Amino acid sequence: MSRYRELLGVAFAGLAARKSRTLLIMLGPTLGVAAIIAAVGLTDSAKGDLKLKLRELGTDLIVAEASSSFGTDTPKMPTDAVPRALSVPTVDRVAAVSELSGVVVTPYAEAIGVYETVPIPVLAADAQLPSVLDVTMLSGRWLNDFDQQELVRSAVIGEGLADEIDVLAGESRSIDVGGKAYTVVGILEQVELDPSLNNAVFITFGSAEADFNDEDQEPNKLYVRADPGTERDTSSILPIAITLGGSTEVAAKIPTDLLEAQSETDTTLQFIVAGMGLLALVVGAVGIANVMSISVIQRSSEIGIRRALGHSRSTVGLQFLLEALGVGILGGLLGVVVGLAAMWVGTNLADWVFVLQPWLPWAGLLGAIIVSMLAGIVPALKAARLEPLETLRLG
Amino acid sequence: MSPVQGQPLLELDRVSRAYGEEVVVYALREVSLAIRAGDFMAIIGPSGSGKSTMLGLLGVLDLPSDGVIRIDGVDVGGLDDAGRSKMRGESIGFVFQQFHLIPHLSAQGNVETALLYRNLSRKERTDRARAALERVGLGARTDHRPVQMSGGEQQRVAIARAIVTDPLLVLADEPTGALDTTNAAKVMEIFESLRSPERAIVMVTHDLAVADHAERRVSMLDGRIVADDIRLPA
Repeated sequence: MSRYRELLGVAFAGLAARKSRTLLIMLGPTLGVAAIIAAVGLTDSAKGDLKLKLRELGTDLIVAEASSSFGTDTPKMPTDAVPRALSVPTVDRVAAVSELSGVVVTPYAEAIGVYETVPIPVLAADAQLPSVLDVTMLSGRWLNDFDQQELVRSAVIGEGLADEIDVLAGESRSIDVGGKAYTVVGILEQVELDPSLNNAVFITFGSAEADFNDEDQEPNKLYVRADPGTERDTSSILPIAITLGGSTEVAAKIPTDLLEAQSETDTTLQFIVAGMGLLALVVGAVGIANVMSISVIQRSSEIGIRRALGHSRSTVGLQFLLEALGVGILGGLLGVVVGLAAMWVGTNLADWVFVLQPWLPWAGLLGAIIVSMLAGIVPALKAARLEPLETLRLG
Repeated sequence: MSPVQGQPLLELDRVSRAYGEEVVVYALREVSLAIRAGDFMAIIGPSGSGKSTMLGLLGVLDLPSDGVIRIDGVDVGGLDDAGRSKMRGESIGFVFQQFHLIPHLSAQGNVETALLYRNLSRKERTDRARAALERVGLGARTDHRPVQMSGGEQQRVAIARAIVTDPLLVLADEPTGALDTTNAAKVMEIFESLRSPERAIVMVTHDLAVADHAERRVSMLDGRIVADDIRLPA
């Protein structure tokens, strides 16, 4: 045991005696481990952040949308789509939305050309929409039964549109919807699960019918909250319940699935960056092998004298292998620190939660050690095979 | 290590050393030599006479092509690398012309290197290395690195390293070859002081002034021993 302790001492003294060289060959494992930890850690943090967001948003929201209806421009659902959806036992709440076609919103009269080309969506919505989407009002109020029944020209706008046309919270403002002046009664906060709502104008079904001849009040989209845990079954049965064998086709999807799919795309990026880290580790290993091989030549006299003093081939070889181990340990530790620092900076910049798998630093360190040891094998064998007579120049 | 009474410390029995496969060149040809405890010997000869080859074989740094080398009765040809290394570490101390100190180690560290991997405690290693350095007059320079020392001092560190294991045989290769006259004289004084009835000292040199310090002088020419003289003290 004392032999190995002494060998460790000799190896680390050898590394400490050549600080610049040691630092240079440590760069490979350091960069490799740092890249792997940063890549895996940042992707995990992004996923963790997404999971947190999903938990906040809830995974029980289903969006049912009329996908095609032969002979009509805008696919529509039956007028009684809401009661039909509510007939599904696992459906808790339903809100209907109908997108009005051909209605141009003109926040500024002088920019009408722009809004004709890129129209702002106008949606007839019912009173349940905020509660089903689980969003609150940024300011003001949502459309109510009075607006619906008395055909009050009240409008709610999305947060994105409010920012775009500079509507301040609480500001009294009207907006031109299809040539009619609507009073903006509230701003709906950002809807994470359906970003298309952020730039929309919402009016009541009553106003839509009165002002824009949307007679049937047929919705083209339903937002449905299912009982927790039943969203998969509900989403598969919902289209059948809504169409009841009619010609309309309805597609139901769970918006959080899309977010999860996006996170899977991020996994590809994780593999690419982690792969680059692995490559850096391998290149670092080649660097270690090269520098240590040169070092064996430079230190041939030391090797010769150690052999003359009775150190066996295996002892000399082990000494060089332990030097490679030292490089791996030091480089790996530094890589872990740099990788964690990069993660900390990255998660702070992106405003993500810091998610670190406990095994990741250990895996990084172990990887650096294994790669460095493998890189040290050839130089160690070279050192062990060196003939003392060739290096001591006797006589 | 104590020598076995009556038998040579080191014995070369018709030893040859040849190099090359297709064209064979003999550096040493059928040499026999017995070195006994207490010997203070110089091996002399011109360049190419086989001195260096002889030194490599005596130091178990090389193996003969033919013949047998015995150290304390043990045939070194029958040992594996670990066995030969152990024998070298325990029985032989080397002093080289170019000192061959490890540059990043202090004088103390260089001497301690000879005591590594022997199951000695750290304190024992430190004490023995310090004692060896004191014996060569460098007790006050233990922390100095080779670059901070003169050539003479470096050679004295090398001598301390050679004797710290208390070897049966001290092999010196041109020990004064890189030193000025004053330092050379000092080094030779140390060699004289190392003489002991239990130890042999063998110096390989082409410097006759150095050889004059020895009691026994072995002359080599063309890979053979041509004379083996014992000079009685005046």
